[in-house]
Amino acid sequence: MTLPSAYTEAPARRFGRGDRVRVKQTHPPGHRRTPHYIRGKPGVIERVCGAFANPEELAYGFDGEPKRVLYRVRFRQHDVWPDYAGPKSDYLELEIYEHWLEAA
Amino acid sequence: MSEAKHPHDMGGEDGGPVDTVDHGMKFWEKQANALRNTLTSRKLVRIDELRRAAEDLGPRYHELEYFERTTEALRSVLIEHGFFSPEELARKIAEVRRRYDAA
Repeated sequence: MTLPSAYTEAPARRFGRGDRVRVKQTHPPGHRRTPHYIRGKPGVIERVCGAFANPEELAYGFDGEPKRVLYRVRFRQHDVWPDYAGPKSDYLELEIYEHWLEAA
Repeated sequence: MSEAKHPHDMGGEDGGPVDTVDHGMKFWEKQANALRNTLTSRKLVRIDELRRAAEDLGPRYHELEYFERTTEALRSVLIEHGFFSPEELARKIAEVRRRYDAA
């Protein structure tokens, strides 16, 4: 499956397409853009979106440097919602920054 | 986990019925939107800051209407950056109100 991509360069990065990851299970204060429902959930890197200014810093008036690598991560709906009633092949894709991901 | 959860973070919760009626925009809402767009396009404030400031409203986030919320967020960020103080803003609002009431 080939989708159009807004890929931008992110030469230095921890993960690549197909890598298994887990979203950090942490609830720090501050402006965080990683939804609570996805924290602690396992997923697979679907693509590298590129490197972007860190929105958690931009939110407080700083320049967001150094930039952070953003990934599109694919999650099985059954992993995300304990009572999910749909087919096993249903996926959810979210874009998550590298500092929110750990290798799984 | 709820202590760090902000008003925008409602994925997976029951959202209730969706209001699909177009309520239009009041005159002041158009002015507020124009001001906000001008300040973000000139990069005097960032949209990320405005969103964070709106979420900092806590429970009030849900009490305010959309344009009240975004305008209050803009007020907070402009004060953070020192464009004016709360006292200066209050004085200006009083001055404009006097002018408006006299008209």
